[in-house]
Amino acid sequence: MKFLLMLLWALSTPILANTGVAVQIQARLAAEARAADATFQGFSVQRGEAFYRDRHGDWSCATCHTDHPAKGGRHAVTQKAILPLAPSANPERFTDPKKVEKWFKRNCNDVLNRPCTAREKGDFIAYILTVRP
Amino acid sequence: MKRVWMVGVVWVFALSVWAGEHRYGPYPKLYGQECASCHVVYPPELMTAAGWRQVMQQLGKHYGSDASLDAGPQAEISAFLERQASRRAKHAPTEASARLSRSNWFVHEHGQTPPPKVSFAHCEACHTGAEQMDYSERGLRLPAGYRQRGD
Ligand code: HEC
Ligand code: HEC
Ligand code: HEC
Repeated sequence: MKFLLMLLWALSTPILANTGVAVQIQARLAAEARAADATFQGFSVQRGEAFYRDRHGDWSCATCHTDHPAKGGRHAVTQKAILPLAPSANPERFTDPKKVEKWFKRNCNDVLNRPCTAREKGDFIAYILTVRP
Repeated sequence: MKRVWMVGVVWVFALSVWAGEHRYGPYPKLYGQECASCHVVYPPELMTAAGWRQVMQQLGKHYGSDASLDAGPQAEISAFLERQASRRAKHAPTEASARLSRSNWFVHEHGQTPPPKVSFAHCEACHTGAEQMDYSERGLRLPAGYRQRGD
């Protein structure tokens, strides 16, 4: 019994540890979203999924990260392989807030031609955390 | 026994000289971390310092993508690239876009026109060892429809 518990603990820690950082990022984004819009009601998985799939101009997030972000993708210009974006498939994701911000800045600029709002980023993370392999 | 050993050493040495010519790196970890997410690590030795300076000053508008970096890593990588850069004129980019795939050297080796649907920037399309910075002839695999040189 004790062994089973230990095993469960060992298996679950990496997942917990890494959604932990995502949740911290979410908390910061929620504060920003509320500051920008007093009627902000929390993040939405549905809005996040729509944002992920919508084309804004030529590209969507799915263009490089695929229709199902638990799968590996490809860079639209260089064809270079990209590891899966969903933490359920790639535990390295959303473990480093600076890295996450760096890529939001770049990819939002490429796809939307502007920075993403705090709400868009929070919705996107809410969605990506629900994606299962 | 001793002779066999000696022959072995000489052989390995000869091999590494032969292969070494078209192998590059290893490079500082930071360079791989920041400059290899979207494409292979390009060998700094294949472009001049002026070319690299230009690339590093325009990371926000990087061949149609945003590849911007914080000031710290930006400065560190610039310094490394310029230190390691080629000093030969044939490696100078010939267009304002600062592409190492548009130097006289590159065009001489590769011709003007890549095969259909391949970008010359996509080194690993032909150099199967490009991820490991190995550009030796053994690793070459040419896509159909590619006529090198003189086209
Ligand atoms: C042109 C291709 C491309 C598009 C389009 C794109 N991405 Fe990315 N994205 C990348 C690459 C390349 C990486 C870095 C890959 C790696 O770390 O292995 C990345 C990484 C990320 C990361 C970093 C996650 C982490 O913790 O490692 C986030 C967040 C992200 N993308 C969000 C988005 C969002 C949101 C969109 C849509 C607005 C988007 N991306 C569209 C190419 C793209
Ligand atoms: C966000 C994605 C991304 C990142 C990060 C990135 N690049 Fe690029 N890079 C590109 C794209 C896209 C191209 C154009 C490829 C093409 O034309 O097929 C390119 C092309 C290049 C070229 C020209 C290749 C040629 O044709 O000769 C150089 C040089 C280059 N990058 C250097 C760098 C350096 C140095 C860094 C790190 C500071 C870096 N790149 C980081 C996306 C990126
Ligand atoms: C379309 C296929 C193709 C692509 C893409 C390509 N190469 Fe090559 N490359 C070749 C061929 C073929 C040769 C052999 C030329 C010869 O020896 O005749 C070569 C030779 C070389 C050599 C060795 C030159 C010598 O002295 O023998 C280097 C270094 C090199 N390429 C670097 C690169 C880099 C860096 C890139 C990406 C920026 C690249 N190549 C993209 C096909 C390609």
